[in-house]
Amino acid sequence: MVPWLLLAIPFPVLAALDKTHGVPPALASKYVPQGSGSRSTWKCLDGSKEIAWSAVNDDYCDCLDGSDEPGTSACPNSLFYCRNEGHIGATILSSRVNDGLCEPECCDGSDELPGVCQNTCAEVGEVYRRKQNAERKLRKTGSKIRSTYIAFAHKEQKRLEARIIELAQEVATREKEVERLRDIAERAESLSAADLERKKESPLYQSLLTHHTALKSLQKEHKKHLEREKALGDILDSLRTGYNPNYQDMAVLEAVRGWESLARLPHINDVQKDDNEAEEAQAHETEEEELEEGMWSASQIENELARLLKADHVSLLLEHDRLVGPSGAQSVLFDVTSYLPDALLPHYESLRDMIMSGLQVLGVGHGVVDNSAESNRARQALSDAEHSLKLARDEQKEAKENLDDLFDPEGFGPEGEWKKLDGLCLEKDTGDYTYEVCLFDEAYQKPNKGGSNFSLGKFTSWNKRSGAKPGELEFYTKQSYTNGAKCWNGPHRSVELVLTCGIENALLTVAELEKCEYQITGTTPALCLPVEEQKGKDEL
Amino acid sequence: MRSPTFSGSLLLVLLFPGALALKTADWKTCSQSGFCRRGRALSARAQESASSWKSPYSVDPASVAVGSTQASFTAAVKSALYPAVKFELDVRVHEDGVVRVRMDEVDGLRKRYDEAASWSLIEEPRISQNIQWTVSKAGIKAVYGAKKDIEVVVEFNPLKVTLFRGGIEQVILNGRGLLHMEHFRKKEDKPVEATEGDAQAVLQVNSAAWFEGEEQDAWWDETFSSWTDTKPKGPESLSLDITFPNHGHVYGIPQHATSLALPSTTGPGATFTDPYRLYNADVFEYLASSSMSLYGSIPLMHAHSADSTVAIFDVVASETWIDVSHSSDKSTETHWISESGILDVFILPGPTPEEVFAQYARLTGTAPLPAEWALAYHQCRWNYVSTDDVRTVQKRFDEEDIPVDVFWLDIEYAEDHKYFIWDKKTFPDPVEMTQDVEAIGRKMVVIIDPHLKRTSSYPVYQKASELGVLVKPKSGEGEYEGWCWPGSSSWIDFFHPGSWDFWISLFKTKSIDGQWSWTESTNSVGIWNDMNEPSVFNGPEITMPKDNVHYGGWEHRDVHNINGMLFVRTEHDYFGTSPHECIQTNHTFQAASLRTDPPRRPFVLTRSFYAGSQRFGAMWTGDNLGTWEHMEVGVKMVLANGLGGMPFAGSDVGGFFGNPEPEMLVRWYVVGAFSPFFRAHAHIDTKRREPFLLDEPYKSIIRDILRLRYSMLPVWYTAFRETAATGVPILRPQYMMFPKDKDGFTIDDQFYVGSSGLLVKPVTQKGVNDVSIYLAEDQVYYNYFTHQAYRGSSKGTRVTLSAQLHEVPLLVRGGSIISTRERHRRSSPLMKHDPFTLRVALDKAGSAHGDLYLDDGDTFSHLEGQLVHREFAAKTEKKVIRITSKDIANVDPKNAYAQSIAHVRVEKVVLVGLGAKPTSVQADGGKELEWDYTPGVASDKQGQAGVLVVKDPSVSVVSDWALVIKL
Repeated sequence: MVPWLLLAIPFPVLAALDKTHGVPPALASKYVPQGSGSRSTWKCLDGSKEIAWSAVNDDYCDCLDGSDEPGTSACPNSLFYCRNEGHIGATILSSRVNDGLCEPECCDGSDELPGVCQNTCAEVGEVYRRKQNAERKLRKTGSKIRSTYIAFAHKEQKRLEARIIELAQEVATREKEVERLRDIAERAESLSAADLERKKESPLYQSLLTHHTALKSLQKEHKKHLEREKALGDILDSLRTGYNPNYQDMAVLEAVRGWESLARLPHINDVQKDDNEAEEAQAHETEEEELEEGMWSASQIENELARLLKADHVSLLLEHDRLVGPSGAQSVLFDVTSYLPDALLPHYESLRDMIMSGLQVLGVGHGVVDNSAESNRARQALSDAEHSLKLARDEQKEAKENLDDLFDPEGFGPEGEWKKLDGLCLEKDTGDYTYEVCLFDEAYQKPNKGGSNFSLGKFTSWNKRSGAKPGELEFYTKQSYTNGAKCWNGPHRSVELVLTCGIENALLTVAELEKCEYQITGTTPALCLPVEEQKGKDEL
Repeated sequence: MRSPTFSGSLLLVLLFPGALALKTADWKTCSQSGFCRRGRALSARAQESASSWKSPYSVDPASVAVGSTQASFTAAVKSALYPAVKFELDVRVHEDGVVRVRMDEVDGLRKRYDEAASWSLIEEPRISQNIQWTVSKAGIKAVYGAKKDIEVVVEFNPLKVTLFRGGIEQVILNGRGLLHMEHFRKKEDKPVEATEGDAQAVLQVNSAAWFEGEEQDAWWDETFSSWTDTKPKGPESLSLDITFPNHGHVYGIPQHATSLALPSTTGPGATFTDPYRLYNADVFEYLASSSMSLYGSIPLMHAHSADSTVAIFDVVASETWIDVSHSSDKSTETHWISESGILDVFILPGPTPEEVFAQYARLTGTAPLPAEWALAYHQCRWNYVSTDDVRTVQKRFDEEDIPVDVFWLDIEYAEDHKYFIWDKKTFPDPVEMTQDVEAIGRKMVVIIDPHLKRTSSYPVYQKASELGVLVKPKSGEGEYEGWCWPGSSSWIDFFHPGSWDFWISLFKTKSIDGQWSWTESTNSVGIWNDMNEPSVFNGPEITMPKDNVHYGGWEHRDVHNINGMLFVRTEHDYFGTSPHECIQTNHTFQAASLRTDPPRRPFVLTRSFYAGSQRFGAMWTGDNLGTWEHMEVGVKMVLANGLGGMPFAGSDVGGFFGNPEPEMLVRWYVVGAFSPFFRAHAHIDTKRREPFLLDEPYKSIIRDILRLRYSMLPVWYTAFRETAATGVPILRPQYMMFPKDKDGFTIDDQFYVGSSGLLVKPVTQKGVNDVSIYLAEDQVYYNYFTHQAYRGSSKGTRVTLSAQLHEVPLLVRGGSIISTRERHRRSSPLMKHDPFTLRVALDKAGSAHGDLYLDDGDTFSHLEGQLVHREFAAKTEKKVIRITSKDIANVDPKNAYAQSIAHVRVEKVVLVGLGAKPTSVQADGGKELEWDYTPGVASDKQGQAGVLVVKDPSVSVVSDWALVIKL
């Protein structure tokens, strides 16, 4: 404002403004009068109106498109061009012209009346060039690192391709193995099936099955309730720490107090909080509920029940049969298998089958009893082989997917430059919390003074909102992590990770711009394009 | 890195506002408040007894002592119930005809609180020297007024005060015999229990029961929810009936969320069941239609009829309930029940709305002219979370070329909610941030709440504690401790004179003598006072216990409604006070000059307020909800606040709670753009909704609305000047503009802006495409944007205006000249040198006028004559229209300010209502000007009006000039 007051401005002040003041070079040829002398005219650029040449830049808006006032603030929504000789020309909004402030974009001061602003283009240009150089240097270093990321991706590509070939072979081998074992198992089963069926009619076995089903149902129910209790506990914990005592909502207060007494927590917002009480409450917590003798503890239920439920009932049935049934059921023939190398096994088994059927024909040997166990083992071997096959196939599938993602513009980028950072965890300590983002995986908020971690969300996508397209640099400047832990009375936590080129992978700032919606900024060399690639854009 | 699918969290956010609801159980109803219950029971007994009811209060004629030179008298008053108790009546007539009636118990066990007026009034009113009281056997009366048509009569037995005008009753005090001043008594005074069957004894012992009731209802203690009020002084409430026998409409007594014309609270067809309550309270998610009390209280009630306007100002600071009923369409009965304090009632005789405002302004003052930037757009949110956040928000506004003047910081800037103390983790460079904002001519406003975190590491608390200036608990010893944002907190007692200098010293930007002060701020930072009811999270009704003790031993109950005003007053005083305002506290002048030289106009926003708060800043309507109902009632609340003498008011644009849909937000911006105080604000749980975040077309519509407000800042500033001078509100409801038009008395959804002639009706309903505007006079009104001419009629006419989302229903009254600045700027200080556009809206006879007030908008130099005040006029005579500009400021027209803006032009004159193309348009000296005429009808016809646009008449806004348009 001061320059205005210092200047003794004559009135009217803008009478003699140059007609091309504020006109960008590309349009300069259009700012010429038609006709000559005082009658010369000019046409608005949109052709809508013909006005006197003197009305151009006379600080009064005549044209609907604002084109008659390139050098003043008279027309709304138009643009002003400052030449900035010695630096780079710039365009500003007409609302910035003659407002008493020297726009940093117009270092030549042409946006204000003469005398208001100094021409600082020499310095500004110098600073700009230095900054450009510094930035170029940064990007140069960054892009070197980036190129190692790309190299990594290519190496990864080769590794994956090799692995996929390997896996294809492995899958083929395992497929054959599964075929063979299935054949054996099916044959063994056909032998033992009838006998086993008979045994399965034992009331003890039937009861065992019922118990098994009941136990399994109970386990499922129990698990469901545990999860529910955990979820309720989480909700109540966040209610307890997050509720607003302002509202004096008695229902909320009662819920908090009720939870505190149930969970033996001290009251969080007591004005005259008695520390002794809190300690007492802590002491209570250590007392464990006493168990009846022989009963399982909670940890036993958790750990041993599953094992119990995995028990093979058919084996048990056969075991039981051996214990209470005719002795000598164990045959050397069947035990031999454990000592034989895998390679010999098929030969042995066909031999054994031959012997066994012979014995049976002769009425010697209790083939019937042992057939069930044999079939069971064959089935087990098949199942193991099938599992191995599945693992190999899964790995193959994953490797293929990873290979696809590697150069997917919506995955690790067109050059695979992000692959190196997959799963890399970055941290930022903000005092009360440490924020951690494991790239392409999950983000967390970890309290520094103890307490539970919150998930801030899992990686969902690259920049979705700004309209940038996969493959463009802009697309890779933002990552979304969504559907984190739910806020009490609010949304699920989420993170927008905003990245810029830098020589380190690091988090810079964390801000909770809206409740439970975090904006985290950071740098990564993955965004440092080689200098040449961006040159074109910078110069404009 | 397979991506999990995007969940329904967005949907959840959208559904969330449905969970909002008021917890009514947190606030008392009349039946839960002992003295209100007693007051209503008294009224019920009177109603049952009908004509046999007689007030027990009477004046002892022998005691009447008339002042020798002044229009005042005192007299002893006795109650037939307690003949031993003495009361004194004091009645005065002021120079301007206002009658003040005071009554107090004398020589009682204790003293009633009698300091409310000393905080509220600007000075001791001057008593008339020319009016004589005439004493007779039955009463005493005085006749006065220019036409000798005002008569005030005090009848002796029973005591009754009546104001007549032209022989017609205007106001009656104690006409229904409900006056009752509960005298101080000892607890053992309880009447002896009557033995059963001894009816005679009952009558003898409890001789006051017919009046006071049988029960000692809540005399000595009272429990609400889990809080017990110990009431060490016992019963001391005050009941008074005030009747307006010839006024069918009453307005005022803000703050309530209801219609401008106050609906009934008793009697047949009553809208509300409870009386209007005045007890400053932090009401969470308040109802959009209720008689519940809210954040502020102004015990000023206007009563209006087609014949006259009068008002009652009951300067009481304790909790007060007011019943309103209408025994007929033409009369209003009110009943005022207060918990403590003396009787101190001002009768404002009017007889016009303007005179009532002038009379009230002479008592409590007017709203001083604020800094001009304070009328521009304020952007707030709970919270901008860091210095970088603030910078980014500013950058985004500028990128979108959306104007804004002020960025606000809510409580999260303060470390552990220790106000003044920046949280350095998020606000590492607060001064630089403020300077970055100020570099674009903008300002920052930062919140300072009255609760202090009780920790020795907080210098403000520490010092206050050392000085002993904190509110005390009921024991009268130590510090009251309650719960608020920072956790365990204490409250400064602003009634304690020792707190004033201390509080003022905190705001110094340079530390003096090593005392702690807010060195991390700038001289331009404005202050926001929230939670000053005071809000106490764990207190009864979310405020302080009434038996807390303030300076001088007064209980909190005595001073509650004044509390918020004093907090603001002290801050306001610091930031710079005009010489005219520092009558009460002379420390302020010195403090102001310590921050800047010359002093600058301060800006303080308050949530809580009382009669007189208008002198100290702006208010807003508190924590409203983002609903159409709240948008609608917000308009009425701002109008009501104007009637309460506090015109610098607004409601949170967008609603504090909830996520308004874009349509609602757009409409709310129009409401804001036509409120004196224009701020968008949002709760921490809401989605961000700064204008630049909206999609098109909403973003551009809001940009246009903001630009409209900025273009009209000269109109608003001129309107603020007028209210500062006269006390007449800025937003003027229909009844004020047309006091004789009965059909307009209840209209409160359209209003005029100052004397400008602008008439607006904001849309406050969803899905609306047009609005109906009521025109009460036979005059032409033009659509501000399209120049469509509408004709009203003296019987009242409704016209329909298109009001699609992008359209603002705004009319210009024929006969007005509107001065605007149409250049788009980023902030209002950057418009200082921009030229003006004059919109001349011809009336049906072809004339128009309007004024324009300008000063530096920042300092107090306008009080020393540094200003420009112009009147523009247009007149049609014999096919010639002359538009002139003349000086109407009573100052030197060559003052330095006027010279500093001599280069500011009028760049355009838009003449609306010209029926034919002119033959010439010339400047005074005969120079032909460039102009453009769009054909249309003349100002005496309806339809598309003819419009003449005169290009650059080459005239300065500060000089005398004339334009001559020949037809």
